[in-house]
Amino acid sequence: MSSIALEQIPRAASMTTPTRRRRRKESVFAFVMRWCMVIALSTVFLAPVIFIGLTALMSNEQALTSQLWPQSWHWDNFVTVFQKAPLLTYFANTLLYASLSTVFMLVSSVPAAYAMARLRWRGRNLAFLAVLTMMMLPPQVTVVPVYVMWSHLGLTGSLWPLILPNLFGDAFSIFLLRQFLLTIPQDYADAARIDGCSEFKVMWRVILPMAKPGIAAAAMFSFFFAWNDYYGPLLYTSENPNQWTVSLGLANFRGLYQVQWNLTMAMTLLVMIPVVVVFFLAQKSFVEGVTLTGVKG
Amino acid sequence: MKRQRFFATLGAGLALATVAACTGSSTAAPSVPPSPTAKVTGTVEFWHFFTGREEAAIKTAVADFHTKYPDITVNVHGGQDDEKMLKAIAAGQPIDLALSSTTDRAGKFCQSGAFKDLKGYIDRDKLDLTQFPDAVLAYTQFNGVRCTLPMLSDVYGLYYNKAMLAAAGVNEPPKTLGELTALAKKLTVLNPDGSIKVAGFVPLMGWYENAPAHFAPSYGSKWLNADATSAIGGDPTWQEMAKWQKDLVDYYGVDKLTKFTSGLGQEFSADNAFEKGKVAMVIDGEYRSAFVTAEAPTLPYATAPFPTGDNHTDLYGGGYITGNIMGIGKGSTNPEAAWLLMKYLTTDTDAMVKLANSIKNVPTTKAALSSPKLEADANYTTFLKIFADPHSSTTPASPTGSQYQDTMADFFTKWQTGKVSDLQAALNDVDKQINDALALATGP
Amino acid sequence: MALALTARRAGPVPAPLRAKRRRDRLTVLAFLAPWLIGLSVFFIYPLVMTLYYSFTRFDLVTAPHWIGLRNYEFFLTKDPKVWQAVRNTAWLVVILVPARMIFGLGVSMVLTTVRRGGGLFRTLFYLPALAPPVAATLAFVFMFNPETGPVNVGLAKIGIQGPLWFNDPAWAKPALVLLGLWGIGDLMIIFLASLLDVPKDQYEAAALDGVRPWQRFRYITFPNIRPVLTFGAVTGVIAALQYFTEASVAATVASGKANVGEGIGTTLGYPDGSTLTYPQWLFVKGFSDYALGYASALAVLLFAVSVIFTVILLRKAQAFTPTEESLR
Repeated sequence: MSSIALEQIPRAASMTTPTRRRRRKESVFAFVMRWCMVIALSTVFLAPVIFIGLTALMSNEQALTSQLWPQSWHWDNFVTVFQKAPLLTYFANTLLYASLSTVFMLVSSVPAAYAMARLRWRGRNLAFLAVLTMMMLPPQVTVVPVYVMWSHLGLTGSLWPLILPNLFGDAFSIFLLRQFLLTIPQDYADAARIDGCSEFKVMWRVILPMAKPGIAAAAMFSFFFAWNDYYGPLLYTSENPNQWTVSLGLANFRGLYQVQWNLTMAMTLLVMIPVVVVFFLAQKSFVEGVTLTGVKG
Repeated sequence: MKRQRFFATLGAGLALATVAACTGSSTAAPSVPPSPTAKVTGTVEFWHFFTGREEAAIKTAVADFHTKYPDITVNVHGGQDDEKMLKAIAAGQPIDLALSSTTDRAGKFCQSGAFKDLKGYIDRDKLDLTQFPDAVLAYTQFNGVRCTLPMLSDVYGLYYNKAMLAAAGVNEPPKTLGELTALAKKLTVLNPDGSIKVAGFVPLMGWYENAPAHFAPSYGSKWLNADATSAIGGDPTWQEMAKWQKDLVDYYGVDKLTKFTSGLGQEFSADNAFEKGKVAMVIDGEYRSAFVTAEAPTLPYATAPFPTGDNHTDLYGGGYITGNIMGIGKGSTNPEAAWLLMKYLTTDTDAMVKLANSIKNVPTTKAALSSPKLEADANYTTFLKIFADPHSSTTPASPTGSQYQDTMADFFTKWQTGKVSDLQAALNDVDKQINDALALATGP
Repeated sequence: MALALTARRAGPVPAPLRAKRRRDRLTVLAFLAPWLIGLSVFFIYPLVMTLYYSFTRFDLVTAPHWIGLRNYEFFLTKDPKVWQAVRNTAWLVVILVPARMIFGLGVSMVLTTVRRGGGLFRTLFYLPALAPPVAATLAFVFMFNPETGPVNVGLAKIGIQGPLWFNDPAWAKPALVLLGLWGIGDLMIIFLASLLDVPKDQYEAAALDGVRPWQRFRYITFPNIRPVLTFGAVTGVIAALQYFTEASVAATVASGKANVGEGIGTTLGYPDGSTLTYPQWLFVKGFSDYALGYASALAVLLFAVSVIFTVILLRKAQAFTPTEESLR
């Protein structure tokens, strides 16, 4: 099972595959239809983003009307947002939540995934089934006792109830990492073992460096999940505004600060930017990782 | 021998009391707290719900308290609603003093012990409860347990746009709901395409302050019986209210109304529909005056008691009263200091008057109400009068909090969109839901 | 040769091998330890406790008080709103999931035909899925504002009277579906990869036989991408059962209430309870009304339904649990 990155797929892999003997010329009609659809879809996907951007640059009065093009350009809206809401605090909190979660997740989930993928032991399949079940469980099912437990530990009102569990493995990450680790051929590991490496060394020195795309993908999923998480912070930090994350801050921005749509849209854009940047920087690994969760079957 | 028997009885009594306290609700019989021997010092964690301009006013009051008691520091946490406070109390976070925005949860706070029973402190310090008007005393306790004291009250009445009324040749505010309906129709302005441009009065329940609780005093409608079961189905005045409301909704058309309201500004923003002149008459609380002064000072408006039902003109002059309540959190680490702050904010006349003047809420002690320092312009005086009127009423406390009001609100949502065919049956169903929820919360 | 930790041998096991096996077992245990702790503390323990709480009356401040099956009885007979929540969640499962599958498949099929600039469009189509759900929902509610939003303004320009979208009970959930379609990127990526993975020779053979497009899809494409479709369907259903964020943000924003001091419980479900999903009702009952015993009962029922879908997935998952050979 080799990992297939989308970039490696030959460009000619389309539904109308050219054969060696003749090149089937596609009709003008098909060409036009295809590009119409692509352009239509692009518009649909891009239009809301553009709309958000335009509204973010409007004055408050105009944001309430139906005019689409700003009559006056208020680039200062982006600055005002930082003054009206402690956006930097929210960013800092979210960054802390996302990065710590990711680091903790890697520390706990990589070894577990490794054990399930590359070591043979009794009960391995059962463990994997348990991981799958954990993945499928809605968080609302276990929220009550977990909340009570955290409140007895005195950690409610902070982000720790969301960060600390990652020290004990994250089911989705284990699943993703396991699938990826399964694709690495055994030969490298065997060679290392013959040379006398302990299991830990085999994992650390040989396999994990080869698993970088999968690890990167798992890390990114974890980071995005924490960044976008609304339910978790709502439950654990709503009484403590200085612990809010960007999602919670954005949702409450319209309540506390007497909603101004132009500012709200500006904040929306600001909240989206870091995620987009991270994605651009690490697209390839991410797409590879995403592919592997669902493709092989 | 006698002494032995005395101690035995005492011991048995104590044991019984302990057992009773442990198996019953967690509110054990309040012991009288000892008078603090040393001066009270320390920190008070004070949680309240105000934000923005009103939060600044609270901070000023707290600063004044600190001037009077320099050894007590107060940490103020604003923007905390009841949900957040209950969660924090349950998590054992030290909330010393809590200010809740609504009386709805007094029942829950007192019954569950989330707020301490204040009887001990009240008796020890001989706090005179008669300084509070009867109406507010009623909503600060449940089932004989007083765990909160009132701090500032909200009173509801009619706000109307004088200029719009005058333009239609009307100089007096409506006194009955029939008059209100006629006036609303007159004042409504439609766009060329038939949609609403300016509404005389928006009858949709759930919009801004339109809630069954706020209209109940207009009909003298009864919510609950003394045992907290529902009295709604058996009270014909609810049907009168429902019919009045639906008639006006149908006049406009519920779809048109929804389209109109969905384009209006947020209630507590500067785009408030009444402040922007998009609605001629609204029901709102006395605090609205302060918002208007800050956000729309040129608005030509006036206030009056809210109109009553056509058959209930004897009730005119009253209105809906609710208020903020303060309590000492269950896990408070400095209850004495919290008690001092509570006494200051709830009974110190000057402090209360100052706060009332800045937030424009109604003070809750008789002394503050009659204080010459209370700034009372014509609009504010309206609400002071409503507050003192014997026909004013509040929503009763219940262990299920505001569940019964939510159920009624759900009913009105279905009713105003025309989904209810049998009014009496629907109200009986409301009774059943309220009683079922009560049974689940308090049954054996 | 895979590492065999449980290889069997005839005869007594020599000491060095015993020691090695023990070391290997310890290694596995060490690798699994954090996850095992997580499994017990954050999965098994809460499940058991939730089950216990579901038989009690519990308001978080006082100790739980046993009341037997009364919570379940309440659910079945005395809570009319929960059925609305059940219907709404079921609606999402039945409508939102297939809509996303079909749209995702359609979009990825269009992408497979793009030869030049495919990477650019792929990124473009994926971008909306990166937006935080709260931000995306806010933007959509704003865009679909019945009076001033560009959608209705645009529709009016071509003569269509737009509905009230998030303010109309009949249109609020469809509007949420549109939101879900906008963020189709995550499904699209998986489908696209799978479509591109279909063996080319099968298509060539079909082309030689003169197979029509619909038949080509049915007999070649579909069987090859079926595992991915299954994965997408089941994870989609699980997500629909957990649907919370978008619905609650849309309801609070569209209702226009400022919620001063009231908390989030009063606006969920706007308009008319049409966006009230089961997880939201659980949240309201548990953390707004503090009927945590009842909320636990609701959670147990949600778990039961999720288990059913997990079983379905596990049946299909035999397809992607690796066999012995693939470990070589």
